[in-house]
Amino acid sequence: MSEKLIALLLRLYPSGFRAAYGEESFELIRERVRHERGIVARLRLWFDLLADLGMMMFRGFEDAQAGFASAGASADGVPSFHLLPGDSPRRGAVFFGGIITLVTLMALPSSFRRYTNDSAGAPPFPGSMGTSLPRPAIDFGKDSPEAVFAAVKHRIVEAAIANVKEHYVDRSAAEAVAETVGAHERNGDYSRVTDGRTLADVLTKDMREVSHDMNLVMVYSDQPLPERRAVDPEAIKRYRAAMMQENCTFENVEFLPHDVGYVKLNSFPDVSVCEAAATTVMQSLNHAHAVIFDLRDNRGGFPEMVALISSYLFDHPEYLYNPRDNTSERSWTRSPVPGNRLADKPVFLLTSARTASGAEQFCYDLKMLRRATLVGETTRGAAHAGVFHRIDQHFGIGIPEKRPINPFSDHDWEGVGVEPDVKVDAAVALERATGLAERALMKK
Amino acid sequence: MPKQKLNPLPSAAFHILLSLADGDLHGYAIMRQVAEQTGGRRRLGPGTLYSSIHGLLAEGLICETTPPGKEKTGEERRRYYRLTGAGRKLARSEAERLAGLVRIARAKRILREDYV
Repeated sequence: MSEKLIALLLRLYPSGFRAAYGEESFELIRERVRHERGIVARLRLWFDLLADLGMMMFRGFEDAQAGFASAGASADGVPSFHLLPGDSPRRGAVFFGGIITLVTLMALPSSFRRYTNDSAGAPPFPGSMGTSLPRPAIDFGKDSPEAVFAAVKHRIVEAAIANVKEHYVDRSAAEAVAETVGAHERNGDYSRVTDGRTLADVLTKDMREVSHDMNLVMVYSDQPLPERRAVDPEAIKRYRAAMMQENCTFENVEFLPHDVGYVKLNSFPDVSVCEAAATTVMQSLNHAHAVIFDLRDNRGGFPEMVALISSYLFDHPEYLYNPRDNTSERSWTRSPVPGNRLADKPVFLLTSARTASGAEQFCYDLKMLRRATLVGETTRGAAHAGVFHRIDQHFGIGIPEKRPINPFSDHDWEGVGVEPDVKVDAAVALERATGLAERALMKK
Repeated sequence: MPKQKLNPLPSAAFHILLSLADGDLHGYAIMRQVAEQTGGRRRLGPGTLYSSIHGLLAEGLICETTPPGKEKTGEERRRYYRLTGAGRKLARSEAERLAGLVRIARAKRILREDYV
């Protein structure tokens, strides 16, 4: 059942009711749609909603209120309510209700199909930022649904301001962001925004305009954002089991012709689980003449693993920029690694538009340190520097709470990605990198 | 047509008062709780639910509340509702009234003794 249909249905409720409870009713129906699946449950839901609508049309909101208002202790001492008006239902309401009931019943089959398709999509990863799934724009009509969304907008803007003020690392910029966003709202600059995704984009743009911080981001997700939970020991157990099964996401480690080491790594796993695996892999490459890291399917992970693997690529401690942590002694690689011979070997990184987050940190730092040649496509552009704060089911805000030193440039890769040195289609990146490695080795 | 007087308390309102007896809930949770306590027979639509809530608020039988820890940043600003002392008292009177009816039904042998 689409949000448009819910909004349309709510338009049939008395205006006083919509003004007071439109937003909550919208959420309530949406929750029921989400939880009541299957044909029987869905039919029952429709029956409930139409019966409820019918009852409201006949009774009206104010009348119900008046009935309650006249409640008091009755003659036998038991408190009671007076309810149900004597007025006839409005003709217009009955006519409009009849029409919409017919339309709704006709739309029923397609709404089933639509829901089945919608529910097939996987929910976004809890901590991911910038994940906005396609969402049909809600048609908020002329009166109350628009007012409903206006209330949502106001709440989200207020929450954004409060969160930035409370959490943003740059206090003076936080004040400036709050002031600017507040002024935009007062000036009615957000009045034309009619859907959540656009609202998130506009707020992100306004916050960044003042802060010049690409890591400050407002997120809208069509799928409900999961509530924050404490660390779940079961989840840790599952993660550990999955890493053991997947060889810590080292999908492939082999030697290509001319002793070029090839590592396909699909994440940067937790060091506390995968340190031994990573160390074994890096040691096994020790006699390679060049190393190719294939990060085309790497969606990121833990900065500690980025540092661990990078440690093998230098003969002295090097500073690695990590947007998620303040500069500290952990920011340096643990180079040199005893017995390691890779520190002066050519390194190639294969990238794709899917290469994200921690993998981008690896690419960015090695590129800036001129330690690796990046071959492939521009990476995804997800620095994930901000701590994610959930505002409600659909909105959240990413706010940088740390301020690491970036000695390489003013901006990291948030929103823009890391540009490769050799721009080729990801599908042919390995072939190109192998050629480049062989050429580099022949020069030696 | 004269206004009809509904005595006793509308069952939706009574169910809402009962659902809040164990703790504060938001609208959707109230709806779920009512469905649960009636074995799925009573599922309140938004109109019935919020009209009843509106009336109960106006009568001071329930009040709005903010769940602990959610005040600061506007996180999850759903309205939560809490049973007031007056609401609890009214729910008790209503339950006693119903219990009285059950006693009468038993005396008239409409309801058997073992029927709860």
